[in-house]
Amino acid sequence: MLVMAECKGRDRSPSSSMDSSTHPALSTASAACWPTRPDLSTDLRLGLSLSTSLSSSSSLQAAESIPSMPSRNQVLLSWPPIKPFLRSALAASASRRRRQQTLFVKVYMEGLPIGRKLDLLLLDGYDSLLVKLCNMFKTPITYADVYQQQVPGVKAAHFLTYEDQDGDWMMVGDVPWNLFLTSVKKIRITRTDKC
Amino acid sequence: MTYFPEEVVEHIFSFLPGQHDRNTVSLVCKVWYEIERLSRRTVFVGNCYAVRPERVVLRFPNMRALTVKGKPHFADFNLVPPDWGGYAAPWIEAAARGCVGLEELRMKRMVVTDESLELLAKTFPRFRALILISCEGFSTDGLAAIASHCKLLRELDLQENEVEDRGPRWLSCFPDSCTSLVSLNFACIKGEVNAGSLERLVARSPNLRSLRLNRSVPVDTLSKILMRTPNLEDLGTGNLADDFQTESYIRLALAFDKCKMLRSLSGFWDASPFCLPFIYPVCAQLTGLNLSYAPTLDSSDLTKMISHCVKLQRLWVLDCIADKGLQVVASSCKDLQELRVFPSDFYIAGYSPVTEEGLVAISLGCQKLSSLLYFCHQMTNAALITIAKNCPNFTRFRLCILEPGKPDAMTNQPLDEGFGAIVRECKGLRRLSISGLLTDKVFMYIGTYAKELEMLSIAFAGDSDAGMMHVMKGCKNLRKLEIRDSPFGDAALLENVAKYETMRSLWMSSCNVTEKGCQVLASKMPMLNVEVINELDENNEMDENHGGLPKVDKLYVYRTTAGGRDDAPNFVKIL
Repeated sequence: MLVMAECKGRDRSPSSSMDSSTHPALSTASAACWPTRPDLSTDLRLGLSLSTSLSSSSSLQAAESIPSMPSRNQVLLSWPPIKPFLRSALAASASRRRRQQTLFVKVYMEGLPIGRKLDLLLLDGYDSLLVKLCNMFKTPITYADVYQQQVPGVKAAHFLTYEDQDGDWMMVGDVPWNLFLTSVKKIRITRTDKC
Repeated sequence: MTYFPEEVVEHIFSFLPGQHDRNTVSLVCKVWYEIERLSRRTVFVGNCYAVRPERVVLRFPNMRALTVKGKPHFADFNLVPPDWGGYAAPWIEAAARGCVGLEELRMKRMVVTDESLELLAKTFPRFRALILISCEGFSTDGLAAIASHCKLLRELDLQENEVEDRGPRWLSCFPDSCTSLVSLNFACIKGEVNAGSLERLVARSPNLRSLRLNRSVPVDTLSKILMRTPNLEDLGTGNLADDFQTESYIRLALAFDKCKMLRSLSGFWDASPFCLPFIYPVCAQLTGLNLSYAPTLDSSDLTKMISHCVKLQRLWVLDCIADKGLQVVASSCKDLQELRVFPSDFYIAGYSPVTEEGLVAISLGCQKLSSLLYFCHQMTNAALITIAKNCPNFTRFRLCILEPGKPDAMTNQPLDEGFGAIVRECKGLRRLSISGLLTDKVFMYIGTYAKELEMLSIAFAGDSDAGMMHVMKGCKNLRKLEIRDSPFGDAALLENVAKYETMRSLWMSSCNVTEKGCQVLASKMPMLNVEVINELDENNEMDENHGGLPKVDKLYVYRTTAGGRDDAPNFVKIL
């Protein structure tokens, strides 16, 4: 992937499972940086959950004693504590770099020998991926059970799978979008009756 | 001393190093008070609402340099709502009426208008230095007024201000007769400037020692300027982002070669790695380097450059440098005194390429380190203990672990012991910011050991009121205490109310303080302004056991001789 070029300077991966923290798409998360802890208000489960280090009971205890967290907007703008000038300079820089990057993957529909190509960085989540693919292939598609439940009565003929970096075929929709972007290699639209 | 003529006493006072000492001598007797006040040249006002501007001007009519600070420090992180206050106009107007000999004005975190700048420019005939830091409310038209009318201007230093751009005209407003510039910093100006005007201005400023350009200035202009300024000591580059042609590179290298006095470099806005090798020749003479606006440089680019900077004393860099880059810094920059490592991709907390290992490496290699600001994604007690032992000379230690409340990465314990080691070993510590998972114990350590501490910043830390009480009791020299998102309530607030009179200010936001507690404080201490800032009502529904009283969103307490201020917006209640 083109985006991997950014990672060349690093020689260690983070403690969490992410291996491309400088991935431009990760910066697009409108969610900020709040770790998920079970006892905090849902207001703060903002999108991507990256932290894997909050399993200890001591951290949960401390979390319980912290008073109600600030509102979403305050968290976004007031943490980490850097000056607005630096914040906007880095944000502008990040969006400049993001615009220059693409993530094209091949998309195949079962039964069709000719595939399509799609720049995933132009999309902002699974919903827009679904919409885009439904338009491209002119068929209802779904992915992961959760989303089927959200749209009752719509029994799609196809569902979405992808090949990850290990070569395994997985169902689309189980992992957060940004994590998906770092592992997807190809997308395949499979017929539901096969599953 | 009453036998000495006033001039002699005044002369003796001139040896006093700072305002604090001058304040003390003025208390001795009326004669000394009078002599001191009429001979005071430099006045520092740490909180613009602590005293009325008219009173300052009346007392010190002969002041030449005035510094005023406005909003509390947490305003830098968007915690203070807009329109809170901190207006410069009353100060400039008062000085215009009572102190026309003013030569220098420094303002930080204040709201400055174009009208005020124009008044400033036209009123003070000997005005020569304007330094604005983190201010807002003015445009380039205000700068045009300064440029046009301040005939003796030596310093125009604009640091990180929010300036409305009204075109490049302002720079052309410096008259041809203006040849006195020593320092010009317009790095925060967003728009373009006229390259020709800039070059001509530089050409007629033989005393120019510090020049910081904004990102609109192209490489060729920079080269031309540098050819004219062989005595430049401090440079903020313009645009180095383009993949420019080879001739531009060569011209830039030649120009840098001429600047034998260059000691400090900054700018590097989105700098391309290709430009760096052409800067290597000056690296060996640099004492200051700020690369915090260059997220385009990766670890290897940065380390190649910094490994040449053997005389570096001050380094500001993004975390792209990574731990291995910090190891290079540790082995190359033995004179390092100040290090700041900023987060490059702050939309993602929990990951940054620097960890405790980078900081340990720095502490081993840079024994002179005294000032640190470090953003990282993890820390351990063991590392902090090692760092404290290696670098007992810290005067400023600010550690920000990106994920709030994160424990020791190895042991999952709170970081109390680590920070405890810091305050125990670093006996000269004056400023401290703590982060990560912290219990009341860390505050016990701070209260016990941090005797020289003047400023403490707390975020997402502590278990109970006892934490804050430890600090209020033990830190004898505390001047500024700022707390956010920590479980300190009315009991902590009211435990030691007399202490607030010895401090400049207290800030508490998203804590457990109620309005009742604030009212009690205000009634016990009439010489304090207790400002309750309640923007949002949503938070009030979330608290449970606080006597059913709504919690105060933000609290700002400061000592003052001016009484309640009359410019407060409607969301600020002054008790």
